[in-house]
Amino acid sequence: MATVLERAPSLGGLSHVARRSYRIVADVPAIPLLILGTLTFVAVFAPVIAPHRKLTPVKPTPAQCQARFSMTDCPYVDNVPPFWMSGGRLDTPLGTDFLGRDVLSRLMYGARISLVVALTGTLFAGAIGTLLGVLAGYMGKWWDQIIMRITDAWLTLPSLVFAILLSSVRGPGVWNVVLILALVFWSRYSRAVRGEVLALRERDFVKLAEINGISTRTIVFRHLLPNVMNTVMVLFSLQLGVAVIIEASLSFLGVGVPPPEPSWGLMMAQERESLMDGKWWLAVFPGIGISMLVLSANMLGDWLRVRLDPQLRNR
Amino acid sequence: MTLWLLVTIIFGLVRLTGDPVAMKAEAGADAAYVARLKQDWGLDQPLPWQYLGFIGNLLRGDFGHSFEKSLPVRDIYFERLPNSLKLGFAAFIISIVLGVPLGMLSALKVNSWWDSTGKVVALFGLSMPGFFVGLVLIIVFGIHLGWLPVLGKGRSAFVGSDPSTWVTFWFRDWSHLVMPAFALGWYFSGAMLRITRSGMLDVLGSDYIKLVRLKGVPERMVVAKHALKNSMIPVLTFAGLNLLIMVNVAVVIEVIFNWPGVGQLLYDGLSNRDFPMVQGVVLMSGLMIVVLNFTIDVLYGYVDPRIRLSR
Amino acid sequence: MDKRSSALSALLTLVAVWCGVAWGQAAPSTPKPILAGPLAKLDIKDAKIESVRGISKGTLNIGLHFGLDPGWFDPLGYYGPALHFYYLVHDALIKPMPQGEFTYSLAEHAELTASFTKAAFRLRPGLKFQDGHALTTADVKWNYENYRGYNAKLFQDKLDRIEIVDDRTIVFHFKEPFVDFLDLYNGANSGIGWIVPRHYYERVGQDGFKARPMGAGPFKFVSQEAGQQASFEAWSEYWRRPPGVKVITVRAIRDLAARMAGLQTGELDVAYGMTGKLLQRVMADPKLRWDPNFTAPWHLMFPGYTEPSSPFHDKRVRQAVSLAINRPFLVKQETQGIGKPWGNWISHENRDALRGDGTELPVPPYDPAKAKQLLAEAGYPNGFDFDWYIPFVPYFDMAERILTDLRAVGLRSKMQMLDAPAYMAQTSKGRKGFPGNRTIVQRIDPRPGGAKALIRLYAVCGGPASYICEPKIEALWAKHEASIDPAERERVAKEIQRVVVEDYYLVPLYLQPFVHAVGPRVLPEGEAVHHYWDTVNAPFPWPWEVWQVKG
Repeated sequence: MATVLERAPSLGGLSHVARRSYRIVADVPAIPLLILGTLTFVAVFAPVIAPHRKLTPVKPTPAQCQARFSMTDCPYVDNVPPFWMSGGRLDTPLGTDFLGRDVLSRLMYGARISLVVALTGTLFAGAIGTLLGVLAGYMGKWWDQIIMRITDAWLTLPSLVFAILLSSVRGPGVWNVVLILALVFWSRYSRAVRGEVLALRERDFVKLAEINGISTRTIVFRHLLPNVMNTVMVLFSLQLGVAVIIEASLSFLGVGVPPPEPSWGLMMAQERESLMDGKWWLAVFPGIGISMLVLSANMLGDWLRVRLDPQLRNR
Repeated sequence: MTLWLLVTIIFGLVRLTGDPVAMKAEAGADAAYVARLKQDWGLDQPLPWQYLGFIGNLLRGDFGHSFEKSLPVRDIYFERLPNSLKLGFAAFIISIVLGVPLGMLSALKVNSWWDSTGKVVALFGLSMPGFFVGLVLIIVFGIHLGWLPVLGKGRSAFVGSDPSTWVTFWFRDWSHLVMPAFALGWYFSGAMLRITRSGMLDVLGSDYIKLVRLKGVPERMVVAKHALKNSMIPVLTFAGLNLLIMVNVAVVIEVIFNWPGVGQLLYDGLSNRDFPMVQGVVLMSGLMIVVLNFTIDVLYGYVDPRIRLSR
Repeated sequence: MDKRSSALSALLTLVAVWCGVAWGQAAPSTPKPILAGPLAKLDIKDAKIESVRGISKGTLNIGLHFGLDPGWFDPLGYYGPALHFYYLVHDALIKPMPQGEFTYSLAEHAELTASFTKAAFRLRPGLKFQDGHALTTADVKWNYENYRGYNAKLFQDKLDRIEIVDDRTIVFHFKEPFVDFLDLYNGANSGIGWIVPRHYYERVGQDGFKARPMGAGPFKFVSQEAGQQASFEAWSEYWRRPPGVKVITVRAIRDLAARMAGLQTGELDVAYGMTGKLLQRVMADPKLRWDPNFTAPWHLMFPGYTEPSSPFHDKRVRQAVSLAINRPFLVKQETQGIGKPWGNWISHENRDALRGDGTELPVPPYDPAKAKQLLAEAGYPNGFDFDWYIPFVPYFDMAERILTDLRAVGLRSKMQMLDAPAYMAQTSKGRKGFPGNRTIVQRIDPRPGGAKALIRLYAVCGGPASYICEPKIEALWAKHEASIDPAERERVAKEIQRVVVEDYYLVPLYLQPFVHAVGPRVLPEGEAVHHYWDTVNAPFPWPWEVWQVKG
């Protein structure tokens, strides 16, 4: 999927092309990387930089208790707005949720869960799918048939079935979501990878390796896998965004990450009704987080696709 | 073959999800009632027997009786399918209207400001969960502005026995359709944009287009007549698959907008351990996908002579 | 001359007959006993028949908070939620109404012998089904014999024979004293009393009946989309009165936000289940009115506490659990203060139930310091970890609040997220449903049938959902079951409740308001609308024929 200019050097002269293609190729996607980097930093260092705990309510002042419940002492005050609105406090800069827990801290801890879930799930899916795709594409014949038939059948199974099945058998949990993502997405990888491998199989360097009697295992791991990595990486970053959204949807339906652990998807799902009630900060901030994550992952993926186009690389 | 695999997998999977009897029987129901329920539902028989019975009924087109909704699954499913199709088509059209022109613009003005803006607009739809977008739409357009109704699909129904509804069904009560279709379509427009963009780029760089340009054909004709036509193939393929996904798995949208489609049937079925319903819905969607893939393969052979010749 | 006089006499005869019929219907039933011998004292209220028959107008849109089931149209297969549709399409011999828990409907007179071995009913005159076919005791008999819902076997086993005295009089003969007969035959407890038209049912079959039902109730079935919505139209010839509303549409809207949106745009006139995050909004909206609709008290149970290895075996630990929960605060959080901290696990609207508001049973206090002291005495100075807290689906927020309270006195655990089918399945297995003995289960059960129904379910050794097994209670229960004296039964039932609460076998929390909201179109305007919720122990605002909406 190269750009027009790389494919048609007859247009506009070579130097023109070289300059344009240089700019495109060296054009690092600064913004997506910055966003992803920040999110990863926050996720990793959440326990250190978060102002409050993720599960314990923030101890309120007597004034707050009086204002909200007409009681002098209360365990927590729920739904405190962000600090720039009336009733907000700098102590809880983005407000508190329905159990009096600090939103900012939960967002930070939530970055952990959302990122870990999305990353791990997509990684597992990628690993399984790539391996199966390579096997199907390279070994051919009945390997191909079986794997592709299973892939097709698997593609038609809605992820919701797995989600509810897993949550009813094992009880809901974070690892359930990872499993579901892995189970649902591997088939996307295997299709694409199989196509790549089918093309690669006919290439000279592979044929040379075969003639030289190199074992199938070595061919697969040394020659084929590195060359399909580019496709896989592109797919990976695109699927990352989808994984985050699916986790949110599953949490909405009650079969994703279980409370009280904060994941952005769960926070959005739990606080939907608060959005209707005017307490927008509870659902909007996790929403912004999710959007940033998904947008960055997608933009990165697009950039990678252009950057790693095999036609580009092998010139 | 794929279908049979699907049938077996789903049969096993639903039975692993748990016990449906308690949902209807509730605590305190007497043992005789529970036994009768099990008998009615065929759950008192050993598993292989159940499986054979299931396959046998399947071959006769009988998906069994829904546990939760007490009527034949087939009747309920086909009553709801037109609703899902209506939503799917509308979302599909919206995703094309949003995604394809932006994709074309992105491809023609590669890496320019248009490219980035178009991408962000379409990708924004991809980057927010459907339940959030849906709720925001409901709050803004339904409650505050009062322009659009927020619940369900209105009065129109596709009644098989009443031909007057066959055409009007698709157009009546369109105000109920706007928000759910938009929420669903926006999500997929990102993918549409991407596919169109890369398809167009591929074609624009191909030898065929180079030739047409060398012949002196004006740029606009190049784009409109040749590039567009040929880049439509991957778009249509992907679109077909997307349509199926929209029809079958738009569960979140259906739940929020209370749209009575087959996605909601699946969700209800799974939530209530309604084995026949889940089996029926999954099988039907699998059937549709298989048929679609087959049709696409055939069409591909027709449309693209390169493929036809290589067979 | 002949023609004129014969026409006149025909007219006069018609007038006389019409007067006679009208007088017969309006006149109170003559108290001629059907059964011989001493009769049991029954408390069945008379039906309120409207003498002025108005015109039905308007549409009422109801938002149900769970999916519809066409099986609800068939009383012969009765189970729980079915009642919502019964009050629309069908009618019963006796059923709960605003007049009382037992109110005459299709029947105008009922008798039970003092030995509870015979039950007799006399139907109103001139009853018919919605298609005009007459409703007679033959239908009542057929319904009894073909009933296959809850307790069907019990009804069959107890029955000796059914005697049809005439078109309006029927006597049930039982093999042995059937004290609970009227309770179970009452419309809220089974479908056996809801009369289904035999001629129609046999013609269309089970599936056909569920797809297009017909009965003797105030509304006729018009159309349905299975699982999603159903529409009904007023039947102007209903014996009691023509319904106030012309069309009723019931829609299944599972999502709370969607129900709220529907109320605010006017697409819904009634919505159930508005307790929760949006209750504040409901209360703040000037266009909406709401009814607290108290259902039953929340309570906590301790599966396996009878085993000595369980930490909850010690009564002091259970008492500590009760003391640790800040009920007033919980009620403020969960129900905007509408809920009432309550001292019984049975709703006060149940017959023979003790009130838990301090008049009969004390309201449990909040005393975390004393809770910690009790735990220390029981051998847990630092509290302890227990395996699971099982919330009642989908009240996970509430479970989190309670867990926070428990954690504050040292009782630490995690919430086990089950979904509805899993929860129901596990709680209906009795003791076997929850492995181990370090679990707390939260439950609520608004079920009709008097306090004894809940005792039978939750407080005795053999109860299907019971974790309690105490010899004291068993002895009392045996006395209850052996007695056929209603006064003694009431005494014993109250004694059992006291034992359960005072020994903390169950820990009650608060009386749950399951708020229903109505929109501006519902008449009468203002607060008078609350009279729709007058029926005792009813989860929905029955009956439907009295509802009225604006044009």
